[in-house]
Amino acid sequence: MAEVVLKDVVKNYGAMFAVNNVSFTVADGEFVALVGPSGCGKTTTLNLIAGLIPMSGGDIHIGDRLVNDLDPKDRDIAMVFQNYALYPNKTVFNNLAFPLQMRKLPRAEIDKKVQSAAKVLDITHLLERKPRELSGGQQQRVALGRALVRDPRAFLMDEPLSNLDAKLRVQMRSELKRFHQDLHATVVYVTHDQLEAVTMADKMAVMNGGFLQQYDTPANVFANPINTFVASFVGSPAMSLIPLEVASNGTQTVLQSSEGWELPLSPINARKALAASTKKVVLGARHSTLKLAKSAVPGSVPGKVYTVEPTGDITFAQVFISGAVVNISLEPSVAIRPDEMVFVEFDQERIHLFDGETTMALTL
Amino acid sequence: MSIATGQGTAVLAPTLKSKRVGPLQRIYNHRADYLYVLPALLVMLIVIAYPVYYTIELSFFKTPPNLQMKDKVFVGLDNYATILSSSSFREVTMNTLIWTVFSTLFAFLIGLAAALALHREFIGRGVLRALLLIPYVVSAVAASYVWKWLYHSDFGVIGALAVQFGLTDKPINFLDNLHTVLPSLIVVNVWKEFSFAMIMLMAGLQTVPEQLLRAAQVDGANAWQRFWHVTFPHLKSVSMVTVLLLMVSNFNSFIIPWVMTGGGPAGASDIWITQIYNIAFGRQRYGVAAAYSVILFIVMMTLGYFYVKALTRGDESRAG
Repeated sequence: MAEVVLKDVVKNYGAMFAVNNVSFTVADGEFVALVGPSGCGKTTTLNLIAGLIPMSGGDIHIGDRLVNDLDPKDRDIAMVFQNYALYPNKTVFNNLAFPLQMRKLPRAEIDKKVQSAAKVLDITHLLERKPRELSGGQQQRVALGRALVRDPRAFLMDEPLSNLDAKLRVQMRSELKRFHQDLHATVVYVTHDQLEAVTMADKMAVMNGGFLQQYDTPANVFANPINTFVASFVGSPAMSLIPLEVASNGTQTVLQSSEGWELPLSPINARKALAASTKKVVLGARHSTLKLAKSAVPGSVPGKVYTVEPTGDITFAQVFISGAVVNISLEPSVAIRPDEMVFVEFDQERIHLFDGETTMALTL
Repeated sequence: MSIATGQGTAVLAPTLKSKRVGPLQRIYNHRADYLYVLPALLVMLIVIAYPVYYTIELSFFKTPPNLQMKDKVFVGLDNYATILSSSSFREVTMNTLIWTVFSTLFAFLIGLAAALALHREFIGRGVLRALLLIPYVVSAVAASYVWKWLYHSDFGVIGALAVQFGLTDKPINFLDNLHTVLPSLIVVNVWKEFSFAMIMLMAGLQTVPEQLLRAAQVDGANAWQRFWHVTFPHLKSVSMVTVLLLMVSNFNSFIIPWVMTGGGPAGASDIWITQIYNIAFGRQRYGVAAAYSVILFIVMMTLGYFYVKALTRGDESRAG
């Protein structure tokens, strides 16, 4: 296994920049998830690492080698694709053997490696079958096996779980995580599902519009989102964002709503808010940090219930506050109805403030 | 996978149901459907079934040359015996086989090469694709006349070029030479129908998943290995269908040899259909021509059987 280093990587199609100056380092044995919405450039980034499409600029190192001009086959990487990409006319055995045959390994060695990979993935009984005779989960295992059999420097995975049904996806997720831990494999994993990224990855690279937004551990990305995009992308449900204006009511710095109410800020938050480039400030809060009250309490703001979604152990309420939809998690016993007027209490210690103009997080 | 399962149940359901009702009841249940296809069936009876029947009937008769069919004489299998024992039958059959096999082979291979070339993106691809389709859409008679002039021993461009480049001392007599006439006609035929193979295979190439080619690339396969291990297996069904359609059309060829040589010289480019045409309308021996047609019909039906089988097998592998 080896580290993968991207430095100022660019891929453009004319004026369209699919990947724009992306730099990050995947340490040896690290599991990094590239996440972002459709079209954010995450799959393009992966294909650039694989060498399947030519780069427009920048450098990529795999291990100690600069691989910019190397063909995919010479980069010594293995890839797992979204729809498995198994060779339909070959048996499972030959699918696993293919990368080894292409490298002209002796037959006995191929046989040994295929058998051992099949054993690890528990697909030995499937070796004589054709891919179309397998279930989705089995095909996924074979695809993984084909990557595994070669002992590559890095694994590149392009949404490998997104074709599986919800239950199988959760199961394969833990298997993949286990597989990574056992092999100490360097993995670059593309997904649009931030939950997959948060649960599996050592680090996540959040991308949007071809730019790398934030690269950090899932815990840090979750706790300190660098801008409103990351804040609204990571977390389930995502962080609620309310556009407001910072103002002073004589004694205190407050956030003012166009609906007329004011939210006083703690001294620290006040300093953050005043650091914004304009008066516009976005207030962010995660569902679990918000409290719902039926009547006004200090530090609360008025809202109107939009929907109530019981999920069993938690009930999610969506509340309109100053024109924005705010998610709040409640005990199932709390009885509220749609269109009911409520008050939402913010925890000054756990709110996030973003510059309304630059969308960047306001910090001290 | 789930689509296949869906199809499976859809097919299964009517079969289960039909076990409970009799065939008459089933026809009655679908009486409107039968009514809708009735006009088409009637037309087919008149223009296909009756001619086929009448040809088979004629093949057992000696027919007078004046088309007075009431004077025809029943001769049993004599017409068949005449054909099968004649030396020209063996020659013409050999010509037809050479014509069909080589036309099909080269039309397919050149069509495949063209399809692969056009599958890549490059500047001018659309124009080139349109140009390569011209042979297929051009009238066969017009093309045959043009090629006849290209091959002409005195005024032909091909001969002139061959002399200019010093390949020969004097222009070759392509169409009047026993040994060059059939290959020359096959060249025209391949030129005419390779576009068909190209279209079919281009459609087939669209079905090769991009991800599979990428997977093969990462797995270390070079361009040829990617073609052999990924692309070609995907083209198998469409290739079989294309080859069979080409073979059927080549067994039935008429226009190119008829316009360019009329089967000559000395029958060197005579194939089944030109021969049948000659027997019927040149020598007015309708009974023999009919028997000839029946033999050809049997060969074609056999081919058709394999064609349908290949088609349905393609369906099964897709559904499974």
